[in-house]
Amino acid sequence: METISFIVGLLYQYADTIALLALSAIGLIIIFGMMGVINMAHGEMMMIGAYITSFSYYAGIPTALAVIFGGIGAGVAGMVLERLVIRRFYGQLLSSLVATWGLSLILSQGALLVFGQLIQSVPTPFGSFTVADLSYSYYRVFIFLVALVMIAGLWGLFRFTRFGVRARATMENPRMARALGVDTTRVYALTFGLGTMLGGFAGGLLALTSTIGPFYGMTYTPQAFITVVVGGGAEVVTGLLASVLSLGAIKTIFMNQTNILLGHVAMLVLAFVIIRLMPSGISDWVERRQVRVRER
Amino acid sequence: MSVIQRPLALLVGPQEMGRTWYFWVGFVIVIGVGAAAPQYLGRFDLLNLANFLTSIFLALSLCLIWGFCGILSLGQAAFLGLGGYAYGVAGINFIESHGNTWAALGIGLAVPVALAAVLGFVMFYARLKGVYVAILMLVVTLLFETFLNQTAGQGWFIGDAHLGGNNGLGRFSGVIKRPPSFIFSEGGIKFLGKSYAFFYLTFGLAVLCYLGLRIMVNSKLGFVMVAIREDPERTEALGYDVRLIQLIVFCVSALLASMSGILYVSWGRFITPDVFGVYNNILPVIWVAVAGRKSLTATVIGTLVLVWMSQRLTETDYAFVVLGGILVGAMLLLPEGVITGIVDRSAGLRARLAARLRARA
Amino acid sequence: MPLLEVKNLSKAFGGVRAVDGVDFSLEQGELRSIIGPNGAGKSTLFKLLLGSIKPDKGKIWFRDRDVTRAEPHTRAHMGIGVKFQHLGVYGDLTVRHNMQLPLQHSLSGEAMDAEIARLLERLNLAGTEERRVAELAHGQRQWLAIGMALAMRPVLLLLDEPTAGMGPEETRETGSLVHSVHEEGVTIVVVEHDMAFVRQLGAPVTVLHYGRVFAEGSLAAIEDNEDVRNIYLGASRTMAVRSRRH
Repeated sequence: METISFIVGLLYQYADTIALLALSAIGLIIIFGMMGVINMAHGEMMMIGAYITSFSYYAGIPTALAVIFGGIGAGVAGMVLERLVIRRFYGQLLSSLVATWGLSLILSQGALLVFGQLIQSVPTPFGSFTVADLSYSYYRVFIFLVALVMIAGLWGLFRFTRFGVRARATMENPRMARALGVDTTRVYALTFGLGTMLGGFAGGLLALTSTIGPFYGMTYTPQAFITVVVGGGAEVVTGLLASVLSLGAIKTIFMNQTNILLGHVAMLVLAFVIIRLMPSGISDWVERRQVRVRER
Repeated sequence: MSVIQRPLALLVGPQEMGRTWYFWVGFVIVIGVGAAAPQYLGRFDLLNLANFLTSIFLALSLCLIWGFCGILSLGQAAFLGLGGYAYGVAGINFIESHGNTWAALGIGLAVPVALAAVLGFVMFYARLKGVYVAILMLVVTLLFETFLNQTAGQGWFIGDAHLGGNNGLGRFSGVIKRPPSFIFSEGGIKFLGKSYAFFYLTFGLAVLCYLGLRIMVNSKLGFVMVAIREDPERTEALGYDVRLIQLIVFCVSALLASMSGILYVSWGRFITPDVFGVYNNILPVIWVAVAGRKSLTATVIGTLVLVWMSQRLTETDYAFVVLGGILVGAMLLLPEGVITGIVDRSAGLRARLAARLRARA
Repeated sequence: MPLLEVKNLSKAFGGVRAVDGVDFSLEQGELRSIIGPNGAGKSTLFKLLLGSIKPDKGKIWFRDRDVTRAEPHTRAHMGIGVKFQHLGVYGDLTVRHNMQLPLQHSLSGEAMDAEIARLLERLNLAGTEERRVAELAHGQRQWLAIGMALAMRPVLLLLDEPTAGMGPEETRETGSLVHSVHEEGVTIVVVEHDMAFVRQLGAPVTVLHYGRVFAEGSLAAIEDNEDVRNIYLGASRTMAVRSRRH
């Protein structure tokens, strides 16, 4: 009985950690993988998603739709920022980091000024189930599944759609893509919008499990950054998967045995070990292995 | 060159603005006005000024690695905070009980530098991309904040010092020991946070660090740093171990940032985990980016102006929105920094004017 | 033992094998041109030789030492001097400070000034010491980059497209500079795109194609080689685009 509850608990925790990492990082890693820009305002995009979700919910809109509105709102906000500011910093990675951090400061402090310290949180749907006397939330399992669907959807998007092909061409070689008639400016704008939309969507989903304030997103971004660093920039989907699986595993083990803080520290340490061994991230390493395998 | 001439030549070297006689006249005037501050400033203003001055070390630490060596760190507060905590803990144990300020100072400087050495070794020897270095530093800092926030329990004592969780080190005096100010018993000088002596100490250190860094950036090492900023690959092919130089400069930068932390703690006699938070990390980035990262002089001036301005703005709640706006605006309009931009432009204007005058004559 | 020996050198990026099993050796005092169409792996081979990237497979020996894993700065001190393809100079600094970087390892003060003056004289750059490099003409910057490589007193000099963007007169002067350095006993590898310059050098040629050594021999033999002409013909359109850009 105790073993069962331990194993179920651990699996549940693992799934939950993976969901959290994947949701908070997915938009960030798309933007980084495509344009090499780390969007420091990603947490604020999640915040925008959460705020819109909350406002929509209390305006009487069904929860699912409210979350989707959150995603759309953040996507639009992202495209506006791309147009006004971020576009000017392509190719200057460090400057784009600083500029987006400035945007992050404006957005979070602006939200604080306008809406105050906290806004109304949205109740968690679905209720709970019990295994071996311990109760678990259905919603947490649900967002784990949503995270998986999002990763699969992303894979499909890059693989099968026209936008995906253009995006991959742009990522591989922007100059060549331009020569072949791809409007790379538009691809970048759409990618940035897609990334922030996914961030807003994740923000909306996670908002249903926590309190919401101006600095809501900042609680997720450090882990998201670690996930991106470990995932590397070469192949978005493989990198993200490899990264959330490994980081999620170590965080779960440490959280289960000690506390959340050590879980985070363990993640960071693992990240440093991984970058020491494979400086361009897991996905690049995986890719090189594949080349070697093909050669044999 | 003689022993005296050489450092003087380095002081006015080409890597930093200030190669004219009127720059140095201005410099002497500023020093004079600063040194006389206790004569004309009230106690409160003087205290405030001393606090402003502690920011300069943090700003210079970022200016050095980012502006001169091309390494952006979004987590300089890690070194500031760790320096402050290390000094505070050591101070409670050494200064309070034994009057040993030097040991506390040494520990306050050594701990952050050791952290920089370890992190720098991992990051630079793995040839980690610049963006990764930047955000990993931020993550490290934020983890320090999280860690210290949960040290409120009775188990978190280092010697006599209680880490104190989010109340910080020594917030509640009387019950728990507070970190002490510097006391150099040999000379009988006490640098209490609210004294003139403390102001002079901070002021003197700031001037020394500024001049010392001028010499550093104009030395052989300084040229190599700039070469690395411009192009690491080429610099390696010229026979320089780029990783090692980045590591050394990173450690010097940690040393500077920790000075801010140590002075801050001995000034206010407390420190909380907030020092590791987002604001202490983004503020130096704002100061340096807005002022002009490639110049020590611009950094110092810009930091003082911006710190003064944000203090005025704090009363209105808009401080961080305005600072964020200034940062984004400066990045868009004057990416090399406002002060550097103005100086460069006026130099260009002067050159054009001179050329026109010559043409007429 | 040759001065430089490369065995089965391979490097892949993603799925593309940029350099694929290259064998290559250089005797002390040799002058060699490496040519090949765009994407033949010239730049990757160049970077493998200077050490800024490390091979997936294969070995590099230089002066009887295995330097496959050696860092660029180690190789520089062992005597490999490098001139990069694109602006091998620091535009924000003056000519003097550019020259100072390679020289300050061993010289200082007046000895350094004298050496800077000597090298600049040789590069047709005398009197430009105090000018910012960004103000120099394109060809002058290329020479300065060669000068910085020479200042390291190399045993082996690697030149990546030394005449890129130069007019015919500057190209001719560069050729005689390369010859005069070679006559001093420095071994030189020139990675080049421009066949006219390769002809002027008149040195033995190694042809790369799809990351492999396609042909090797004297200039005359390579020019007569039908297959080499074919691969260049296939690439002639991209060459036209390149020259227009310059």
